[in-house]
Amino acid sequence: MQISARYLENTTILDVIGDIDLANSPAVRKVLLAELREKKIPRVIMNLQGVKYIDSSGIASLVEGLKASRDVQARFILFGLSKSAREVLQLSRLIKLFEIYENEEQALSNGSA
Amino acid sequence: MSPIASAVGFGEEDCRAITLAVDEAITNIIRHAYGGKLGRAIEIQFNQLNGTNGAKPGLEIVLLDHGTKPKAEALKSLPPGELRSGGLGLHFMRQSMDTVVHKRVGSTNRLCMVKFIR
Repeated sequence: MQISARYLENTTILDVIGDIDLANSPAVRKVLLAELREKKIPRVIMNLQGVKYIDSSGIASLVEGLKASRDVQARFILFGLSKSAREVLQLSRLIKLFEIYENEEQALSNGSA
Repeated sequence: MSPIASAVGFGEEDCRAITLAVDEAITNIIRHAYGGKLGRAIEIQFNQLNGTNGAKPGLEIVLLDHGTKPKAEALKSLPPGELRSGGLGLHFMRQSMDTVVHKRVGSTNRLCMVKFIR
């Protein structure tokens, strides 16, 4: 799995490529918490277009990100969910708690910082 | 996992659900039964359910490990929609499969999961 960051005004876009599972979900969690809690970025957008598979540990990392964003009153946004990733998020029954858009353009225009 | 489920007759979505359930089951065994230690044995049996004598066709998956017995609270379901990061694995297994049954047999944990073809 690869995770890289792009920085815009008041926004970080995290591009994730590869599976988010037990082996690498700690890395996702670490990067998310660094952006939200340490750098205090007001809007963190996660690009999941390159993620074909996510398991419960991956969802747990996203939940940690969502909790952190609420704690620091920031926005945590997802876009580009694959069919499989969306199904897993639906199974978790947490999908309604996340702010999700189809693509980056929508995430940037609807999820204002 | 998907090729096996597909060969039994499951559609794409069910194949993904079965793959997730098996992945989560293995993760739980490594995490809880083996305390995060890698390189321990996990035996997986696949039994095709043919649907003879009026029974439904499907797939039975049995995972056997020789780790510690899981604590009772680790086998409880999650309240739906609660914002928590732990315990999702078992919830995913129960959502993905028709039955999920754990038994301790001697020094062995036996997890039996069944999914029927719809």
